[in-house]
Amino acid sequence: MNTTTLIRQLSSYRPSLDRDSLLKLSRRILGALGAPLLGLAMFLLLWQLAAARIDTSLGSFPGPMDVAGQAANLYQEHRAERERAVVFMERQEQRIQARLAQDPDWEPVRRGYTGPPTFFDQIGTSLLTVLAGFALASVIAIPLGIVMGLSRFASNAINPLVQIFKPVSPLAWLPIVTLVVAAVYVSDDPMFSRSFVVSMITVMLCCIWPTLINTSVGVTTVSQDLNNVSRVLRLGWFTHVRRIVLPSAIPMMFTGLRVSLGIAWMVLIAAEMLAQNPGLGKFVWDEFQNGSSDSLSRIMVAVLAIGLIGFLLDRIMLIIQRRVDWQKGAVS
Amino acid sequence: MKPLLDISSVSMRFPTPKGEFEALKDVNLKVNQGEFVSLIGHSGCGKSTVLNLVGGLYQATTGGIILDGKEVSEPGPERAIVFQNHSLLPWLSVWQNVELAVKEVFRGKKSRAEMRDWIEHNLDLVHMLHAKDKRPDEISGGMKQRVGIARALAMQPRLLLMDEPFGALDALTRAHLQDTLMEIQRELNNTVIMITHDVDEAVLLSDRIVMMTNGPSATIGEILNVELPRPRNRIALADDPTYNHYRHDVLSFLYEKQRKVEPFSRRRKASAPSETCTAQA
Amino acid sequence: MNQTFSNLLRRLAAVGLLVTATASAADLGWPEKEELTFGFIKLTDMAPLAIAQEKGFFEDEGLYVSLEAQSNWRVLLERTISGELDGAHMLAGQPLGATIGYGTEAHIITAFTMDLNGNACTVSNEVWNLMKPGLEKKDGKPVHPIPASALLPAIEHSQNRGQPFRMGMVFPVSTHNYELRYWLAAGGIHPGFYAPQRGDTSGTLNSDVNISVTPPPQMPSTLEAGTINGYCVGEPWNQQAVFRNIGVPVIADEAIRNNVAEKVFGVTNGWAERYPNTHVRVVRALIRAGHWLDKDNNANRQEAARIIAQSRYVGADYEVIANSMTGVFEYEKGDVRPAPDFNVFFRYHATYPFYSDAVWYLTQMRRWGQIPEAKPDSWYLDMAKKVFRPDIYRQAAESLIADGLMTAADFPDFASESGFRAPDATRFIDGITFDGQSPNAYLEQFSIGLKGNDTP
Repeated sequence: MNTTTLIRQLSSYRPSLDRDSLLKLSRRILGALGAPLLGLAMFLLLWQLAAARIDTSLGSFPGPMDVAGQAANLYQEHRAERERAVVFMERQEQRIQARLAQDPDWEPVRRGYTGPPTFFDQIGTSLLTVLAGFALASVIAIPLGIVMGLSRFASNAINPLVQIFKPVSPLAWLPIVTLVVAAVYVSDDPMFSRSFVVSMITVMLCCIWPTLINTSVGVTTVSQDLNNVSRVLRLGWFTHVRRIVLPSAIPMMFTGLRVSLGIAWMVLIAAEMLAQNPGLGKFVWDEFQNGSSDSLSRIMVAVLAIGLIGFLLDRIMLIIQRRVDWQKGAVS
Repeated sequence: MKPLLDISSVSMRFPTPKGEFEALKDVNLKVNQGEFVSLIGHSGCGKSTVLNLVGGLYQATTGGIILDGKEVSEPGPERAIVFQNHSLLPWLSVWQNVELAVKEVFRGKKSRAEMRDWIEHNLDLVHMLHAKDKRPDEISGGMKQRVGIARALAMQPRLLLMDEPFGALDALTRAHLQDTLMEIQRELNNTVIMITHDVDEAVLLSDRIVMMTNGPSATIGEILNVELPRPRNRIALADDPTYNHYRHDVLSFLYEKQRKVEPFSRRRKASAPSETCTAQA
Repeated sequence: MNQTFSNLLRRLAAVGLLVTATASAADLGWPEKEELTFGFIKLTDMAPLAIAQEKGFFEDEGLYVSLEAQSNWRVLLERTISGELDGAHMLAGQPLGATIGYGTEAHIITAFTMDLNGNACTVSNEVWNLMKPGLEKKDGKPVHPIPASALLPAIEHSQNRGQPFRMGMVFPVSTHNYELRYWLAAGGIHPGFYAPQRGDTSGTLNSDVNISVTPPPQMPSTLEAGTINGYCVGEPWNQQAVFRNIGVPVIADEAIRNNVAEKVFGVTNGWAERYPNTHVRVVRALIRAGHWLDKDNNANRQEAARIIAQSRYVGADYEVIANSMTGVFEYEKGDVRPAPDFNVFFRYHATYPFYSDAVWYLTQMRRWGQIPEAKPDSWYLDMAKKVFRPDIYRQAAESLIADGLMTAADFPDFASESGFRAPDATRFIDGITFDGQSPNAYLEQFSIGLKGNDTP
């Protein structure tokens, strides 16, 4: 074999190798990303096609481009509002100085911007409310679930109540919570606004159940062998709960917590819509009431944001669950 | 000499939906300090019930169990148990599993450093020090059982109870662990009661083999003294006539005198109550 | 005892007012509460609040206000009572209804009327097509005002199909409820009685037309869905129906009865007593906003429409809002007629809380059974005075005059003003005259409606 043929061979060989590996690589990329992207593209196409055909009293249903446009708009509005806030603060300062000149004994209060919350502010409020409600639910559900799991008596006492209250929708709780909070949560300088407390408690009431049930089941199903270990070691009650019961209930508990957080997010949006509590739900409701030609697009932006945040919350819970769960690889 | 453990006239009845089930009837056994006793019998014969009674996990319906002159009424670390399926806490590392026991048993008796040395010592005994930071799901079944033994040993028990400790392991691993156990026994000379299905294991390890009759109302059928010199070597013993004689005695008890005679279909049905017995055991 | 004590206080306050008659802002005293949240419903007549906010009138008073849209009138009222809202854009009937205990009972007062008129009745396209042949026409266009009797063919059509003729209004004590009932009754159609003493608050007793509550922003979609055949509501929800081709406005409320308080700015009496300076300052800002809205013959209305078209306020499309705000009103598509007084924010002393307006609402509550038993004339006047508070308005107005921000000519002559409009100030579609001083005699004039000792 002479050099020329060798070179020719090599040169004909190398591209084919590259093509081959490229093909493999692209197939792998397609496998990982292709299906979701294709699904997304199909969805957008169907959306666009369907949108043009649906005629609502607010004009035709917005397509993906309208919604993207409104998303950008909402961001612009957010920026504009921030600028207004800066101007407001300056103006406030001037007014304070003017009054101090007249009324030197006055102790000025420098307040934050009093303008309306933007879409992004509403997202923040919703997240804060849902996390507070979820935290409150967890703080109640986990200890109660442990008690239920450890004591057959407590379980028999509480379980019927759980079964009755579990299927109650937030729509039913809301009026009761609103009235009770209005009657009970009375304070001149409340730490939290009443609407926040109402949403938080409504969220808590609806999302407490999966955590409660799963925790109690997790505790009940502690393996008899581990209980025997604990008995042989004569672990005290508290040590037993801390070293044996809690860790073994963790996988079940976290499954419950994840379901709870999902419910909490869903319930929150409904609660905000109904109760005029600030947040994404109120944004949707306000836009619905606006009835302007942009309203539907803006609501769609909110719908997508709600879905995306719900998804992210679940992912975050999953990451935490993977970190604390001793059943490696058992979580998906 | 006064026996370390005295099981006298023990009967055990479990309530079941179909009425009482008598698992054990009139069991009498004395175990001396430093003795290695195996309990052998068919499944469902109440071996585990005996062990759980001694462990204090059950209370005898009649009769009594006396350890060191004191009646056994609850579980405790002086009667450490090596469980059949290791029963390690899956969320703790090997080290932490042993540490949990050591901290509980030696609280106020050993300093922090002494505890650390003691854990290390016990893990070393079972050759598991190299895997001390692994979690149970990261090690093999045999290794898990070694940790289970280390945990039990670390409690410095008066009596070590082993519930088919090698039952779930493959033959090779089992042999390894039996050797390790003999090695430890040579060093510590613990008093041990072990449940087994395995005739070779019983003969190889024991000073006495307690053979149990079939349930219900199981009791001790025969007791065989194994007077083989220690240290014992499994390869050397394979051709040892005395060893084979002992083996033969046990086998004939199990498969001639206490042979299970029910037809297959009955046996399947009958296995239900006996399984409740073991499940409760 | 409490009653007499508070009367005494009020008299003392009135004396005090004379002394400080020329107080300017500086003499008013600083606001006790600076951070305020006011509620509103997405209707164009919330404009005074939006203007006071955007033009800095609130801030001029040292007030930092957040404006919050509410989902419906009930929520707005409950939140005002519970204190979550410091004050709110209310239906004129709401403070009265709450104070006399119809619905949620609470003592609510108002010192500022936000606007006059601004409502209309709209019917679905189907109803319009049934009405149209029977209408009197001039130059090819229907002659206005269209009497409610024109609805009869549509009502018959619907009853022949075994369905009641349904109409929406926004709240049991809303202007719209009384206007719609007034119009129907004037056309010989019985709108139905309330009988709260028997727990019947549906308002459909003996009715030819079934009237029910729908929140304003949902009116067009409810009409489109066919749940109701027509409605009476404020703007922009009538013009919205024209734009979306789902219905036709048939009569504006100024043709039913003009220049009676429409929306008011309501606060709880407790709030007003706790924060008197704040209250006066809020009224000052709102007076300036009302004045701005009507200034120079509605010159600012386009700008106002742009402001309230923002999604934080009314949020509807500018074109829809501008249609009624800028002095015209579109009936059937293309039938645009001038309507300079469709929305009145300041002229005709619109912002002054007249006792006679309160009495008129109370007479309507009596007429339709919300007040089921006879009340003496004095009761009507006492209630009007308990709720409508021109004394606070006067304090605000006089300080504005003292500050040179407004002139005395902008206001009624406080020295002689009795709080009662002249009987000829309001024009009713049925030609009946209303004298606020004698409500029972007024009720006697109606053929449909409770009067004397009638109970529903």
